[in-house]
Amino acid sequence: MTRPDEDPDRLYTLTGGRSQADSDAFDLVTLVVSECDPVRGMQSEHAAILDMCRAPTAVVEIAAELRLPVGITIILLSDLLAAGKITVRHPEHAARQWNWSPDTTTLEKVLVGLRKL
Amino acid sequence: MSESLSPPGGEQPPVRSQRPPFLTPAISLLVCAAAVAAAVLFAPNDFRLPLAIGASVAALLLTASVTAAVFYRGRARQLTREAHAYRAQADARVAATIAAAQARIAESESGIAALREQVAEQARAAKESENRRAAALAAFAGAAGRMQAASTSMLAELREMEHRHADPKVLADLLELDHRTAQAGRLADSIAVLSGARSGRRWAKPIAMESILRGAMGRVAGYQRVRLRAITEIAIAGHAAEGVMHALAELLDNACNFSPPTTEVHVYAAEVPAGVVITIEDSGLVMSESALRRAESAVTTRRRPTDLSSLSGTRLGLAVVGHLARKHDLTISYRPSAIGGTAVVVVVPRELTTRLERSTTSSRLTPLPATTGPQPAVPPRPAALTQHTPAAVLPTVHQPTAAAQLDTDRSVHEVSAAESGKIGEDSTTSGGLPKRRRGSTLASVHPDGLGAPAAPARPRPPASPNSLAAFQRAVTGRDSGGPAPAAFTNLDPAALTNRGQGSAGDSGTGRGEFGAGARAASLLDGIRRGESRRENDGGTPHLPAPPTSWETDR
Repeated sequence: MTRPDEDPDRLYTLTGGRSQADSDAFDLVTLVVSECDPVRGMQSEHAAILDMCRAPTAVVEIAAELRLPVGITIILLSDLLAAGKITVRHPEHAARQWNWSPDTTTLEKVLVGLRKL
Repeated sequence: MSESLSPPGGEQPPVRSQRPPFLTPAISLLVCAAAVAAAVLFAPNDFRLPLAIGASVAALLLTASVTAAVFYRGRARQLTREAHAYRAQADARVAATIAAAQARIAESESGIAALREQVAEQARAAKESENRRAAALAAFAGAAGRMQAASTSMLAELREMEHRHADPKVLADLLELDHRTAQAGRLADSIAVLSGARSGRRWAKPIAMESILRGAMGRVAGYQRVRLRAITEIAIAGHAAEGVMHALAELLDNACNFSPPTTEVHVYAAEVPAGVVITIEDSGLVMSESALRRAESAVTTRRRPTDLSSLSGTRLGLAVVGHLARKHDLTISYRPSAIGGTAVVVVVPRELTTRLERSTTSSRLTPLPATTGPQPAVPPRPAALTQHTPAAVLPTVHQPTAAAQLDTDRSVHEVSAAESGKIGEDSTTSGGLPKRRRGSTLASVHPDGLGAPAAPARPRPPASPNSLAAFQRAVTGRDSGGPAPAAFTNLDPAALTNRGQGSAGDSGTGRGEFGAGARAASLLDGIRRGESRRENDGGTPHLPAPPTSWETDR
């Protein structure tokens, strides 16, 4: 039960006691992109998120990398969003933006192409 | 004469009756006078006068000398007698003194014996009380140790629950419980420190300064008022981390308790040549000079260790801090704060600190592998992280073709490959080899992604095809030989095969539970949602159809 490598800091100290994010912009699969580099003196989780999200990264992935519950991760992300340090995209928006939708026939073609390799 | 010589105040020595002093000269004068008269009588006439004169003179001289002799003899006798008397007197006194002294000696001996008994009794009592004290301390230490163990395991369980329950309301309750448990754990730690037991848990690795400060912060009631500033990239050695954290927690608690609840408590940490200096500054009551000195002497290292009698009531904090400061050689000083309260400056000696690399500072984050060039080595991952691989794998399933995002996808692939390195190695040796070759061919033909023009072959991390195979298996629902990655063994097969039935409700539950399988399922739901939309539009069910039929379709 007890993980030997657990850190001493508790989750409520990461979020200042909040358990609910201020914004509802985040989903499990929301893509997060950092808009600036981490600066010195920043909370290490925020710095880690900014490091990680140089390329679009999903919320679940960030949570898994930080080894934090998704709820806590979303609170941290909403702080960053409020500070303008990250931007978010929903996958569907991203797909629309790239003029691409999950066309099953395309997927099939890709799969067939892969098999033929 | 004998009267005047008698000793003053003493008893009269026995004196014999003395002849009167005039008797001797009278007798000798008579005898001499008779002798002179006889001599003069018988002497010739012409010789009588000179004879009479000479004889008279001689008789006088004789009389005087006889008188003197008799007198001095008597005097000598008397003195001898007096001497005897004095001696006897002295002897008696000596005897009396000796007797008195002996009596007193006997008396004091009995006194000494009584005192010895008393001393022995007191020593027995002292030993007994010492035994009692030691037994009480041992009991306290044992109880505190068990409370510590209980709070540690409770905290770990709460952490697990916080990971399990994503509902904000449940999470809020869990966080509240967590906070209360942490405070109870601090109290248990304090009792353990004061009773001489070891303090809290030991950390196997150095703990980053930020985590130390946050750990200390998490143990005080008013943690929301604490502001951390200037976190240095320094870690405290594992063996001292708990002690430093506990001392800081006590100081923070003091700062929070003795400042108005609307004010903030500022904590700064900075690196100095002597080590790390941590300043805790509140804007509460300004302590008087004497109060500052008293507080400082309570936590200074010069005082003798643990004096439980100096504890005052329920205020254990400073005694605990003093004990920890002595143990870890911390230097703690108080001074008036510039923001109107009191500042405590804690210096952690350099021996207890280690430098922290930036990659480990950003806690558990492993740097993403470079997107170009060969991968020199698989970064070491904690074993626990492999449970999270699906989260890293699945987004790649989600957006596989957007050219600009392929770099991301590939790096994520590589991370996931690195994470599941062990599994990948297994499948290289087993039946998964052909797929591996195909995957690496794809990677070498399209190193920059499918949308980019073909580029010369580049070495790829070996585990990448494994995720490709995983992708295939996930999509087809077919377990095609070789050990499946852990990510997909966790998946509910029904979630993979019953495509088209997924709905937003499913993804809702997937969000609620935060297991590996659930996350994978929720991501697949994302695909399904997209596809089900397509199916609603086009209405052609595809799966579960064997892949061979697709090939024949073409």
